[in-house]
Amino acid sequence: MAAAVQDSTTPTFRDVDRGVLRVMEMPGLLYWIWVAFCFSLVGIAAALWTRQIYSGLGVTGLRQPVMWATYITDFVFWVGIAHSGTLISAILFLFRTRWRTAVYRAAETMTLFAVATAGLFPLVHLGRVWNAYWLLPYPNERFLQPNFRSPLVWDAFAVSTYLTISALFLFMGLIPDVANAREQATGWRKTFYSILSMGWQGTDEQWRHYSMAYLLLAGLATPLVLSVHSVVSWDFAMAQLPGWHSTIFAPYFVAGAIFSGVAMVITLLVPMRKWLHIEDLLTPWHFDNLAKVVLLTSLIVSYSYATETFMTWYSGDKIEQMTFHMRYFGPWGWMFWVMVACNCVIPLLLFSPRIRVNLTALWIISIFVNIGMWFERFVIIAGSLAVNFNPSQWGSYTPSITEIMITVGSFAWFLGLFSLFARFLPIVSMTELKEGIAWLRKALRKDYAKAA
Amino acid sequence: MNESVEIVGSFADEQACAHCIEKLRELRALAVRVFSPIPSHHIEHAIGKPKSTVRAFVLSGGILGILTALALTIGTSWEWNLVVGGKPIVSWPPFIIIMFELMILFGGISAVLSFLFNARVPAFEIEKGYSSRFSEDRFGIVVRCAEGESARVESILKDAGAEEVVREAA
Repeated sequence: MAAAVQDSTTPTFRDVDRGVLRVMEMPGLLYWIWVAFCFSLVGIAAALWTRQIYSGLGVTGLRQPVMWATYITDFVFWVGIAHSGTLISAILFLFRTRWRTAVYRAAETMTLFAVATAGLFPLVHLGRVWNAYWLLPYPNERFLQPNFRSPLVWDAFAVSTYLTISALFLFMGLIPDVANAREQATGWRKTFYSILSMGWQGTDEQWRHYSMAYLLLAGLATPLVLSVHSVVSWDFAMAQLPGWHSTIFAPYFVAGAIFSGVAMVITLLVPMRKWLHIEDLLTPWHFDNLAKVVLLTSLIVSYSYATETFMTWYSGDKIEQMTFHMRYFGPWGWMFWVMVACNCVIPLLLFSPRIRVNLTALWIISIFVNIGMWFERFVIIAGSLAVNFNPSQWGSYTPSITEIMITVGSFAWFLGLFSLFARFLPIVSMTELKEGIAWLRKALRKDYAKAA
Repeated sequence: MNESVEIVGSFADEQACAHCIEKLRELRALAVRVFSPIPSHHIEHAIGKPKSTVRAFVLSGGILGILTALALTIGTSWEWNLVVGGKPIVSWPPFIIIMFELMILFGGISAVLSFLFNARVPAFEIEKGYSSRFSEDRFGIVVRCAEGESARVESILKDAGAEEVVREAA
């Protein structure tokens, strides 16, 4: 690292290759223990889900009136996490933001696995999961078709489109990198990378079509990312329940999604940078910029909380006001205040440039944000259902061990898949780092190097 | 008969490679292909080929997506024509969401498929002149010329900063 800082001509293309390809060497025992641990938790979650399918939703804590709770919170949480990947890979690509190059592959990978995790929850939440295909429009003898006026059907289309486009975007970006890995690999890895790179050789013809396809894919993914969480928010905003029925939900959810997603990128990248020894590629300059995005979206989210509260008071709607009173001071009020502390207060520390490049502090803040954003979704979803129009219907909810373990299993599933990807495919884009190598050199030369 | 040969020049610098392509174009020497480890605007500009046709495929895919969504939403609503909440059977505003999503989905899939089709990927044969370093850290220019012109092309490549110049049979 020190040598790289002193010499302005480094890192070279070779250094980038070496740095990334070294990560893809055969991992040690500790790595496999970690992966096995993750997938054991997934196994426990799968066993509990199987029991739930066999016994019915009675094994969960779901009772009238709170019929949407932990599973739907998990769904919204994971869809939200997925958003920063596309923000960093597509939106920042269109703006030609230089710092994205080192972090975008990890963010995109996170997006794909987060959507894949989110997509499981509507299924887990179904009492009769074997009827899940009823959401799809297919010719049937009773002419029965899904209701396209329902936000749940929009959601099925939005999330599956997002999953497909995210996977294609990740795959496209991987092609030149995997071709590079192919040239230096041996044995089964060479075969694996050869198949995946599809004979890519980087000819001018290949690049000409590739660049255009990638640009257009980024252009298509940009409105998609904004639409997906808007559609998810309409799952709630289209209902007339107090606490859900709000016109600001779409921008509020999109900002929240980017907030939690970028925080998750930081949560993953800080330890990954250390364990995979890629300090030369992921510099504090990159984290500084990620932290600024977290700070900006935190302010938008805080503003949304304030607007929501103001509108509740200004509307004069007694039922709405009671819902919000219970949200702040009811039995689950502590969750609201945890959420405010994690999402609005703690991120204010990021105004300090020192904290933004102190990776330990940044990592801790990012975990608080993740916790806060999970609680935000829970407060909105379950909290609003528990306190509806009629006080005689008010109820409560306690998650069962099945729901808790399936939630834990979803984190394990996500982390396990991410860990597998990180050691077998290029987790940092070599091609884009080389393209912006002058910026990487600058980042290493500047004061940030001292902070590292 | 003057047999043609292919001369491969290897460059460490992107700008030098682009500059060399421009020089070759001025002399009407044919750079048959260029290898690069990164997408380069300088090289693309120097080669001067038209913009990729992928754009047309994506536009067509997007339009097809909108039409598919129209057919799907209106067709299935007519087939299962149950009035919900007093709304019309064909309710435009919610259908726009499905049109938007399918436009993106079909457009995105078209982008990838048309890239594969136009760039001839998967490629099962290695292009002449390819070296593994062109996927790592070197830029390569392959020039086809008559045997008699090879010395002149080689000197252009070397003058432009090629680190290595290799001759191959065409």
